[in-house]
Amino acid sequence: MGKLIFNYEKCTGCRACELACSFHKEGVFAPSKSRIKIVRIDEEGLDIPIGCEHCDNAPCITACPTRALSRNSETNAIVLNPDFCIGCKQCMVICPFGAIHYNENREIFYKCDLCDGSPECVKWCVTGGIEYYEGIEEFPRRKSADRIQHFLLNLPKSTRSIATGGGNKE
Amino acid sequence: MTFDYGGYAGKTLRIDLTKGKIIKETQSKPKLEKYLGGRGVDAKILFDELKPNINPLHSDNVLCISTGPITGLLGPTTGRINVATKSPLTDIYGNSNAGSDWGPELKYAGYDNIIIKGRAPKPVYLCIDDEHVELKDAAHLWGEGVFETTLTLQEEQRGYDTKVAAIGPAAENGVLFCSIIFNLWDAAGRTGTGTVMASKNLKAITVSGSGELRVADPERYLEIVRDGWLGVLNDPGFLMGEHQALGTPICVNWGNAQGWLPTRNFRESTFEGADSISGEEFRDKYSTRSSPIPGGRACMSCPNRCKRFGRIESGKYAGTRGSIEFEGIAAFGSKCGVSDLEAVFHAYTLSNDYGMDCVSCGNAIATFMELVEEGVLEDIDKLGLRFGNADAMVEMVHRIANKQDKLGALGALGAYKAALKIGKNAVDYTTSVKGIDTIACDPRVAKGFGFTYAISSRGSDHLRTHVVFEMIRMPPEIGKELFGSEGACDLMSYDGKVRMVLWHENLAAITDSIGSCRFMHASYYAQYPVPELLGKLRNKKEVNSIKYHDWISAATGMKIDYKKLLEIGNRIVNIERALNTRFGMRRKDDRLPKKFSKPIPKGPGKGQRFPKKQLEKMLDEYYTSREWDLKTGLIKKSELIKLDMKDVLDDLDKKKLVR
Repeated sequence: MGKLIFNYEKCTGCRACELACSFHKEGVFAPSKSRIKIVRIDEEGLDIPIGCEHCDNAPCITACPTRALSRNSETNAIVLNPDFCIGCKQCMVICPFGAIHYNENREIFYKCDLCDGSPECVKWCVTGGIEYYEGIEEFPRRKSADRIQHFLLNLPKSTRSIATGGGNKE
Repeated sequence: MTFDYGGYAGKTLRIDLTKGKIIKETQSKPKLEKYLGGRGVDAKILFDELKPNINPLHSDNVLCISTGPITGLLGPTTGRINVATKSPLTDIYGNSNAGSDWGPELKYAGYDNIIIKGRAPKPVYLCIDDEHVELKDAAHLWGEGVFETTLTLQEEQRGYDTKVAAIGPAAENGVLFCSIIFNLWDAAGRTGTGTVMASKNLKAITVSGSGELRVADPERYLEIVRDGWLGVLNDPGFLMGEHQALGTPICVNWGNAQGWLPTRNFRESTFEGADSISGEEFRDKYSTRSSPIPGGRACMSCPNRCKRFGRIESGKYAGTRGSIEFEGIAAFGSKCGVSDLEAVFHAYTLSNDYGMDCVSCGNAIATFMELVEEGVLEDIDKLGLRFGNADAMVEMVHRIANKQDKLGALGALGAYKAALKIGKNAVDYTTSVKGIDTIACDPRVAKGFGFTYAISSRGSDHLRTHVVFEMIRMPPEIGKELFGSEGACDLMSYDGKVRMVLWHENLAAITDSIGSCRFMHASYYAQYPVPELLGKLRNKKEVNSIKYHDWISAATGMKIDYKKLLEIGNRIVNIERALNTRFGMRRKDDRLPKKFSKPIPKGPGKGQRFPKKQLEKMLDEYYTSREWDLKTGLIKKSELIKLDMKDVLDDLDKKKLVR
């Protein structure tokens, strides 16, 4: 059971994932054709990765009148069959994350399929803004421990610095 | 895709603002083969289309905005955008470069570059939405700050998917050093490009693109790009993590430790308050995210994320927020003797919102502070202009932007022109070369930087070479191998520095022309052949590196090897030189300000100076290598023929501007 984890606090907004995705899937560099999207909120200095969460109880599957959307039992990915898609955009409207993207030029939907269990976007993310977990059950525990560790060690402040001679700065 | 070369979008947008005409042109292939794109192509366009003697604020001035062949193609640091024009600040070649995702967006919309001429009868903005390009009324935006303008335009269009380049009210008021600001925080800062844009009644350019870009050889391209990314990620400097952790503000404490942090308008080169305006301080107090990279934000496809976003939560300057960078901190901080980071941060974002260049603005204020202290200038407006007075500094930012009162109006001219107007010996206190003030590194300590200031095509500037090579304790063997002397790795040595500058200058011209970032070949040394040499030294079997020549070849389909790459770099340096020759620049202008022949009073650089005699000696060596005339600094005919620049030669020859 794989899942993509989007860590907005680690995303720097470099959008390499968008380009890697469109190149891997379409052979071109075009953010408009990427399955993943980074929303850059410049005025607050935030970069938020948005992609398919592959929900267990997926509203997009329920909403699709032609059964163009279905789950791949091997990868857990919700995949789109373009042959069945009639372009009604119900899935796009109902998705709570805005993860399904419609391209006007091609009249086709772009939908993450987890690259058959080896997501290209993750390979190009150098900060950990997007991660892929096979054993998703482990994830909440690890994440919570990470947060506690950060809190206890006050991590951002203890980063060493060569120019000032190292050591904590407080 | 109809264009023969991969990588490029293939089209140029030509805007005639006077007539309101928009023309889409197919790119000229021979021009791209010779000058690649970005800075190179812009300089050639200016050479071909700009009347040399016009006033920079005349409607005939040409404003070029360009991307390069690898912009927006997943390579590391491919989010740069180049701007070129005749500068109102220096009256010579003006050029600046910004990083964001505006440039890539322009290419996804289908255009490599924009050439803007004329003057709109009333304020307009240029709206680019794929093939729909139009000039729209900007009456509601005129007079508004950069932030308000950007956010309004985003709201009116496609929200966060609309990328905005805007100018601020200071540019409209005619302050000579205004910037064009991309996506709120990223400035094509120097040489007054924003002032030129304002003189054309052009308030902003918005872009959104849904198109696609193809490369000539996709499989090989991906391999080369992956190698490039790994080259950066495995660079010893990158692995150290300092620059990633703090962004460029790392340089405050670093420069202070090495003794090149300009302090009180270059009176000294170490600052007792460095700690309190440092990158560490900014991270600890104002960064907005608690992650391994607090507040770090990146340009398109960049692993380095050198921008730092922060916010002041309480106190006098509560609400101040924005991206911050080293040059601005030094300009308002150590150069003005101000150790209050909140005031510095505030002045910095104010300057951005007004649309002014932080560096020139801070330098103007620092120069005035010194002139007042030395009794050359009277503090007519009773601001208490003294080094260290943060309130006076912040007040001056407002006054300069609005040209308010006597000092504000003076400051709006930039330090150099203001000093000329003040008269007496005021010019001796400026740090300007070719009319533009010096950035935040003391050239008396960093000799390679110093020499760069003297020869830079846009005046006192480090980015034409960015010879960080001398600062980072590179193994001396590499200096010997590449530049013929171990001295190249020694900050305060003159040995090997000319050759070092030459290599960096040629490569920097390439970086700016293809749309990549300086940090990849100079700062981090991920560009061939440095990683290979380092690998050999350390007996590493596998080495990753950026190879611009392979990279451009695979993207475009041109055939470029390392030797040809450096030749193109050389050609770009020469076209800029040709342009400046027309603007009257000669050997006498390749100089350093008087200030730098005086020794530094204290710190690690104590006693260091940059003597005129030494500079002349280095210029001789530099001109000889470049094949420029030793006496005048004019380019030699033989060099232009060798570089296949016959058209440039013919033009210069007619005006007797070659030797």
